[in-house]
Amino acid sequence: MNSRCLTIVCLAATLVQAQTDPRKAAPAKAGPYVPPRTADGQPDLQGIWNNATITTLERPPALAGKAFFTPAEAAAFEKTTALQNNRDQRGPDGATDVAGAYNQAWFDRGTKVVGTLRTSLIVDPPDGKIPYNETAQKRLAAAADYARAHPADGPENLTLQDRCLVWATAGPPMLPGPYNDNYQIFQGPGYVAIVVEMIHDVRIIPTDGRPHLPSSVRLWSGDSRGHWEGNTLVVETTNFNGKAHFRGSTEKMRLIERFTRTAADTLTYEFTVDDPATFSKPWSASIPMERSEGPIYEYACHEGNYAVPGILAGARVQEKKSSGGAGK
Amino acid sequence: MGGLPAYAQTAARTARTPDGKPNLNGIWQVLTTANWDLLGHAAAAGPMVPLGAIGAMPAGQGVVDGEEIPYKPEALAKKKENFANRLTLDPEVKCYLPGVPRATYMPFPFQIVQTPQYILISYEYANAVRTIYMKDPGPSPIDSWMGQSVGHWEGDTLVVDVTGLNDQSWFDRAGDFHSDALHVVERYTPRGADAIMYEATIEDKNVFTKPWKISMPIYRRLEKNVQLMEFKCVEFVEELMYGKYRKQPAKP
Repeated sequence: MNSRCLTIVCLAATLVQAQTDPRKAAPAKAGPYVPPRTADGQPDLQGIWNNATITTLERPPALAGKAFFTPAEAAAFEKTTALQNNRDQRGPDGATDVAGAYNQAWFDRGTKVVGTLRTSLIVDPPDGKIPYNETAQKRLAAAADYARAHPADGPENLTLQDRCLVWATAGPPMLPGPYNDNYQIFQGPGYVAIVVEMIHDVRIIPTDGRPHLPSSVRLWSGDSRGHWEGNTLVVETTNFNGKAHFRGSTEKMRLIERFTRTAADTLTYEFTVDDPATFSKPWSASIPMERSEGPIYEYACHEGNYAVPGILAGARVQEKKSSGGAGK
Repeated sequence: MGGLPAYAQTAARTARTPDGKPNLNGIWQVLTTANWDLLGHAAAAGPMVPLGAIGAMPAGQGVVDGEEIPYKPEALAKKKENFANRLTLDPEVKCYLPGVPRATYMPFPFQIVQTPQYILISYEYANAVRTIYMKDPGPSPIDSWMGQSVGHWEGDTLVVDVTGLNDQSWFDRAGDFHSDALHVVERYTPRGADAIMYEATIEDKNVFTKPWKISMPIYRRLEKNVQLMEFKCVEFVEELMYGKYRKQPAKP
């Protein structure tokens, strides 16, 4: 089943992003939890982890001014969101059906808010909003205008996830998405590897102190270097090629991620994004990852991509139909 | 940190992991021309005239034991047809996942991350990845491009049983193919710190009259600070696959 082609719904779904059972998760700095060590003495982060949650990256406008839910509000929010996600999404006509007739059965985005009951994954700034600077706001507005005018001239007009190039949630940084929110961590001598279920990405992070690649070499997922601060794996990623433009960022983005086991079955994942070309100040988020049984299956995205030829061919047919009139 | 790369230092110092197994951690690559043709072959012009010598096939000695792939007659005919139509049929042309064993001898490096429970192999080509389970999880629930790998040690040899492979991948650019009945048993035997002798026994009752075997060495990449780079090739095949649906033809 080609679940990737549900992108229209997926994009909507990222607004209502997902999660696991939260009320059990300890906050990042709560505990004296001491993780086990690998045979060669590294803090052991290995296992399969899932970051699904319905808490969104940014605080929803309706919750402006409210940093935390009360437990009762959280339960109500979970209930409302579940109803919304599960409602019959079929539209009044066939076209609507084709574009978005998918309900929760298609997804695996979790049912819970994060355990801290914070109303956004963003913890800084306190308003839970990405602090775009003016230049970026103009740039993103222009890009959105262009996208509206050129929805499907060619493959490059489609989203990167439609094209199976990279997924907006696969990272880095790694965010909960509508499905495939699973990650498996392996540790070897001098590196940590993270298998990302979404489009079978693999991040291999050297922790041996080597320098970054030269700045002339730019990668979709950037170039990551890790080191241990106590029991926390700290990863710095630079050398982005700017084409994945995480949340509108440029190739100058510098990302710091922190992985800390805060309970036997919880890995607290925190990240800070800095890109002066896009954000007025660095911003940070915290996402609990819960241990999962797995296994992780193969997500062969590109190999089953009927969406790109379908969308493009459909656009050409529409143009032909309407060419009697405007004749573009 | 001068001198040898860290991985090489590690390998030279400890050929074994803490649990006493041969240490396969590191970045590896095959240097045969098996990806062009598993059988021995002279150099030949490539399928694209404008590419000239860049697109030509390098000569290579075969990697198949006995220098013969035991095709059933009708399957041999299909292999020949595959080769004739390789520009449209070879899954590598479309940047599709390579399957097993082809992933091993694509002309790209791969990295092994070895733990007692799992051995990860991350291939640079197309972000292909497989996890070798050292504890058998039972039959593969579904076919996939990279299949399900279950490993065990026989002395110093890592033996990997690969099942659950779909019928979409090929063995090489010469049109060698298989069905979804493919069963591959790989053997990784370290030879010193910097080489692994690789064997794969291939069985597919729908296509071959008997099992057959390929073998080749895998070499450790010893460059200072060597790391896997990205080969996200989907971007490179969009014009080929979707160009015909463009509003305006792409500029050459």
